[in-house]
Amino acid sequence: MTPQLSWYLALSAVLFTIGVAGVVIKRNVIAMFMCIELMLNAVNLTFVAFASFFQDVTGQLFVFIVMTVAAAEAAVGLGIIIAIFRNRESLDVDDASILKL
Amino acid sequence: MLVLLFIIFAGMAVGCAIAVVAQRNPLYSAISLIGVFISLACLYVTLAAPFIAAVQVIVYAGAIMVLVVFVIMLLNVEQEDRRRPRMAFLVPAAVGMAAVLIAEVAFILSSVQLSANTPTQNISDVGLTSSIGTGLFTTYLLPFEITSILLLMAIVGAMTLARQAKMLSPRARVVPGAQVLALNVIDPRVPLDDTKAIHVHTTTEVEKVLGIEHDHDSAQRD
Repeated sequence: MTPQLSWYLALSAVLFTIGVAGVVIKRNVIAMFMCIELMLNAVNLTFVAFASFFQDVTGQLFVFIVMTVAAAEAAVGLGIIIAIFRNRESLDVDDASILKL
Repeated sequence: MLVLLFIIFAGMAVGCAIAVVAQRNPLYSAISLIGVFISLACLYVTLAAPFIAAVQVIVYAGAIMVLVVFVIMLLNVEQEDRRRPRMAFLVPAAVGMAAVLIAEVAFILSSVQLSANTPTQNISDVGLTSSIGTGLFTTYLLPFEITSILLLMAIVGAMTLARQAKMLSPRARVVPGAQVLALNVIDPRVPLDDTKAIHVHTTTEVEKVLGIEHDHDSAQRD
């Protein structure tokens, strides 16, 4: 017996759910950021699983581009986090609830 | 064999993902997240995607997480303090939404097929670096180029966000030992137009410009 496609999809769904729960539960900006990365990885697992089971390389190209977007998101997001911390001396999202630095 | 590997790495991934959410210290969350990335890379290897696995380890577990850990260290983040939720009336709604989410996960898990029906593990070149490169530079050349523009925008945006304002604006005045204040905050009667810009960086130079120089040597001797 080999692992089925639905196993990977179920694992991806579980990881994505944990990521969503983390974004909802956490109050620290950096922790929420890491939960978003977790969700991106869950979607990546779906892409790779489909690419492997359908013998199509397109899914892996999607993963490549998703990783690039995640890297760009990390750079800009951490810049925003540093700017917020510099202005508010806090990383709590409740302290940054108005759209004004 | 593959089933055993799947169970091991899936368990590692789910356990580390739960640890990411459960830890209160962001640094421990980051370490757990690296565990998730590495176990997912191992799953990619079992899915015959060695290039994506290598990129996962290098880019995610290497570059991005090093950046996150660097920011955590830089900002000296302490553990989250427990504070009372400001909108306590949302707790029942949150419980309801969580129930819906768990029901969806259970529905997905109930439809998992345990019997083998699709033969996989064919000998093919899908997932090798050459096939990915061929696809990236022929069919998907436009997304590849757009990605490069995206990265350029990210670089410029990160530099703009993280840059500190060096020069004082003409309407600011430096109070030595304090922060930079707008001129009309210090003295509302002063007209705003006759103030010159102070193009210096340190407090001592500002004191010289403003003519309020202190004797720093005596202060240091005390």
